[in-house]
Amino acid sequence: MRYILIILISFPGLIYAQSIVNSKHNLSVNGPGGMRSAGETEICLFCHTPHTALPRSPLWNRRDPGVTYTLYKSATMQALPGQPDGTSMLCLSCHDGTIALGSILSRSTVTGFQSGITTMPAGLSNLSTNLRNDHPVSFLYNSALAMADGQLKPPAAILPPVSLENEKVQCTSCHDPHKNLFPDFLVADTRNSELCNACHQRNNWNSGSHNTSVKTWNGVLPDPWPYTPPSSTTVAQNGCESCHNPHNSGSDVMLLKYQKEENNCLDCHNGNVAAKNVAAEFSKSYRHNIGNYLNIHTPNEPAQLFTNMHVECVDCHDPHASNSRSAVAPYAGGALAGVKGVSQTGTAVSSATFAYEVCYRCHAGSAGSPPAATSRVIVQNNLLLEFAPANPSYHPVAAIGKNTSVPSLISPWSASSIMYCTSCHAGDGSGTSPAPHGSIYPHILKLQNITNDGGTVSTGTTESASAYALCYSCHSRASILSDVSFKQHNKHLQSEVRAPCNTCHDPHGISMTQGNISNNSNLINFRTGVVTPSSGGQLKFVGMGSNHGQCYLTCHGKNHNPLSY
Amino acid sequence: MKKLNLLLTTIALIMFAQIINAQILNSAHDFKSKTWNTTGEICKVCHIPHNGAMLAEAPLWNHALSAVTNYSTYASSTLNATVGQPDGNSKLCLSCHDGSVALNNFGGNGVVTPNVYATGAALLGTDLSNDHPVSFTYNDALATTDGSLFPPSTALSGLGGTINADMLFAGKMQCASCHDVHNGATGTPAHLLIKSNAASALCLTCHDK
Repeated sequence: MRYILIILISFPGLIYAQSIVNSKHNLSVNGPGGMRSAGETEICLFCHTPHTALPRSPLWNRRDPGVTYTLYKSATMQALPGQPDGTSMLCLSCHDGTIALGSILSRSTVTGFQSGITTMPAGLSNLSTNLRNDHPVSFLYNSALAMADGQLKPPAAILPPVSLENEKVQCTSCHDPHKNLFPDFLVADTRNSELCNACHQRNNWNSGSHNTSVKTWNGVLPDPWPYTPPSSTTVAQNGCESCHNPHNSGSDVMLLKYQKEENNCLDCHNGNVAAKNVAAEFSKSYRHNIGNYLNIHTPNEPAQLFTNMHVECVDCHDPHASNSRSAVAPYAGGALAGVKGVSQTGTAVSSATFAYEVCYRCHAGSAGSPPAATSRVIVQNNLLLEFAPANPSYHPVAAIGKNTSVPSLISPWSASSIMYCTSCHAGDGSGTSPAPHGSIYPHILKLQNITNDGGTVSTGTTESASAYALCYSCHSRASILSDVSFKQHNKHLQSEVRAPCNTCHDPHGISMTQGNISNNSNLINFRTGVVTPSSGGQLKFVGMGSNHGQCYLTCHGKNHNPLSY
Repeated sequence: MKKLNLLLTTIALIMFAQIINAQILNSAHDFKSKTWNTTGEICKVCHIPHNGAMLAEAPLWNHALSAVTNYSTYASSTLNATVGQPDGNSKLCLSCHDGSVALNNFGGNGVVTPNVYATGAALLGTDLSNDHPVSFTYNDALATTDGSLFPPSTALSGLGGTINADMLFAGKMQCASCHDVHNGATGTPAHLLIKSNAASALCLTCHDK
């Protein structure tokens, strides 16, 4: 008796390990999915017929939708997808939602479906005739394409289970409609970007944090990974799909989850997955206003922007390349890996070596970049000119500073140090990973730096550790106030004058094209309107060697014509 | 236990029901009443007991054979089988179903004017590129290469033996792999199939999908 049962159980056809029979593509009355015919028991016939098929291969049993599809396009795509053809047309004969599921060539009448279903119900499986937000198909994927793109594998390196059909990418390149081996009938695991990597080989991706991070979601909504299986719990496992969604994507470009560019980043970088809550920084009063622009950024835009001014996360970060590699100024750290920049010589670079090169993309003479914050004798807001190593003075961003004696510097800073732009311009409280996302202080400064000066003693600023916290974070307040360098610092800062640092010092630097070593050493570039010409009609500083000089000016009721020290 | 025995017996009876009923009488291939069949016989349209054609796969053959030698055959970028011109018993089927030879063109039939040919779904024509391929060798090597076919030497047909034993002819798939030309009476599988295709069981006998 027992062996009879065993024979019955092992009767062929009754056991389907990974088969269309136990998949959602079994549209028969006995299918396991949500879309089932009212009475038809056959499975294959919803797509195939053994006789009089159209198209002939693969013995197709469904109508050509005969519609014109809206196709995917992108500024960087080298492929030329045409209207869907090959097997992709077969898939679309259900998945574009235009043809009843039960409309079969070999049957004269439409086979009815349960629950009143006729065409594919709305949802992720219904791609519609708008394929603008779907991974392109029906394009020739040959060696020339791989070469032109630069980040695609040569077709000979595309290995099973991923395959091309007559040299073209089709739906079946990624999906096997007969076997639901991986979710959504995919031929390979999408976890750890395995399926995508079959064709795509992004520069620096292997070492990128988005490919390697084992960070998990803390469960606070929104779900950063709404389209991936629950078994994908880390950033690395979610891989490409941490940001991209190959079908019905939220964006029309780059197949991103969301149309608004920054939303694709901030659903992880909001404290729910990534350690740092960047979203909070971008809600502060002074920020790189990533929320202000939509569909302006393009991946192939010039390194230096002169038109279409904007800022998005990806203008400073390459999500495929970003990593946690630390660096020492002026070198760009992992967060800026793979990002375009403009060199100190004004040359576009495809991958910034030095951090300031990224800032120069927009702040080196671009129209629309912020004007100089303070009106000065010498007007300049081009950072490339302000930080040029040949300048008479500058904060040491692109090269070691000109002044070899800066006694106020707090260790480890010294006269031979190099600093980052982010040494000053960073989020308040951003600590050990400073970045100019947003701050409560103007000009995205990490600490307070009051510049209020109405030109009189009463309209100046009261000196305190907090009033000039930014400057004092490197330049010892005690040293400054005890006049170790400039002998009149204390007098100028405190009650007799009440002038802020900013009134005399131009923090970025003075371009050699406008200033000179005699008049503009020590970042001297007076604030006009506050500092006015002397009784002799002159407004200038003349350096006379270390800690000695002359000033010609009128300021806070005092006339120096000149005053020497 | 008795109930189980009864159940098993019932299942066995259902499984063999198609064999019990296997007959050409009243099937789609029962042409005794057709006007183009002046003999009024059933078997004679295809067979004759004496002096039939001596064909390897055509026992006592009596119907005129098609002279067509340039059928368009099925092709696909994923097809691993080598599909040649129809041969074996498929040639017999095509002697009516390719539409080149009149149904009435068999030995001992009277003159029929005009000739009557297969029509509708029964007419495959000489373009077989939209039909499931036949006359190709289906062996375990093909199954391995394809990856989605069962190995015919070991996979069971559901008819009692292996696919190779029950469904192939000299190791080849032919029309008769799916169709039993003599078995189409009421209660047997539609389209003269060798077994029911409910739940696509016939397709899935060979296709590991």
